[in-house]
Amino acid sequence: MTRIPLSLIINGQTFDVLAEPHRTLLDVLRTDLGLIGTKENCLEAECGVCTVLLEGAAVNACILLAAQCQGRAIVTIEGLAAPGQLHPLQQAFIDHGAVQCGYCIPGMILAAKAYLDENSEPDENGVREALAGNLCRCTGYQRIVEAVLSVARTVRASPEAASHRTAR
Amino acid sequence: MSAGDRKEERVSFDYHEPTTLREAIDLGARFGGDARFLAGGTDLMVQIHRGRLSPRHVVSLQRVPGLDAIEVDGTVTLGTRVTHRRVETTAGFQGALRALVEGAEVVGGHQVRNVATVGGNIVNASPAADVVVVLLALDTTLTCLGPSGERTQGLDSFATAPGVTALRPGELLTRVSFPRLASRSATAFLKAGRRRAMEISIVCVAARLTLDADVERCRDVRIALGAVAPIAMRARAAERYLESRPLTDETVREAGRIAAAECRPIGDVRASARYRALLVGTLVPRALNRCLERIRNPAS
Repeated sequence: MTRIPLSLIINGQTFDVLAEPHRTLLDVLRTDLGLIGTKENCLEAECGVCTVLLEGAAVNACILLAAQCQGRAIVTIEGLAAPGQLHPLQQAFIDHGAVQCGYCIPGMILAAKAYLDENSEPDENGVREALAGNLCRCTGYQRIVEAVLSVARTVRASPEAASHRTAR
Repeated sequence: MSAGDRKEERVSFDYHEPTTLREAIDLGARFGGDARFLAGGTDLMVQIHRGRLSPRHVVSLQRVPGLDAIEVDGTVTLGTRVTHRRVETTAGFQGALRALVEGAEVVGGHQVRNVATVGGNIVNASPAADVVVVLLALDTTLTCLGPSGERTQGLDSFATAPGVTALRPGELLTRVSFPRLASRSATAFLKAGRRRAMEISIVCVAARLTLDADVERCRDVRIALGAVAPIAMRARAAERYLESRPLTDETVREAGRIAAAECRPIGDVRASARYRALLVGTLVPRALNRCLERIRNPAS
């Protein structure tokens, strides 16, 4: 099978890879680029652990062909904050005890980020609805929702925290 | 070996990314049944990974201009690549056409709705496709472009069996259109599932109602049902019953009874056939009443 050259813009950095046309973005992220923060599970767009941001919108990387991402900006959990730092959402998940096994959390945080970027005044129902495509078997969701809402409050209160938002 | 590796072995295809509609149609003509057009991929990629579809060629529509347009004049036209998310957030759909928003916003999670398209939903021909049921109630016409030119077809005759449509090999569904609603009209969509999100409908119902000048009698009505027949269907006997009748508690209940009698549900893992028919009998009157409320009080 012919491989095609792709330039993928991931977390602001351009990666040139050769990939067969049928390979998914998830597979290329994990296998070729070692970005294993994006998780693999159902492979059918049901569970949300593979969520990444594609031009700012949350999408499932398991059903997205890498070839479809040519030249389009992708953010994975690795690129959410500068190296060695935590994004306010990541800090809030820690502070609220919103993480248990952790497998769903990268996707959960990216879905939450896409939602907060579009909704400056989120409410609990909105957060729950925005995270409906991210399944968690440990936490019961309550603390995750609380963590997301706490960030929304912080961002409103402090322009400095707002600067953590990724440019769209 | 991960599940991903096992699936990978079965899958291989060539990828094409046409930048004009002409180029896309030429690829469709060249590869015919060996090609699949790719829009959001939420159905196609899953079918490919499951081994149910194995196209030799995948033709992505993402760089074909114009397919994601929404136009409103005498008719409302949606390009095939308009996503569910776009439908949800289009200001012009928040009024009388609210059923479109109600149908779109219950599909999958945000990740799915950000990419899943109206055209893909129609071509996939699931009997439970929520937006398709709404479009049926709106008298939607489809425009298909293929090697032998462009043609139109009513949505009500497009799907012929689960997953099977009248789309010809190499042909592309380019847009869907429906007439703007007359005055004194409203729409409503209701869905029954075990949970609110990420759920395939057990039953869904869409209604479009236009009242007479007296704002009491039915001038024109459409009732569409999902997940109660091999394809999304119109409840035509219930529609005929309501024509020219006043909308009262009694007549909307009777319309529900007629619709429940004319649907052809199966029993499966999600619900029994009898429960589905019962839901139709409940949801049809509820959808009609919601239309009635919306006509009488447009702000509701």
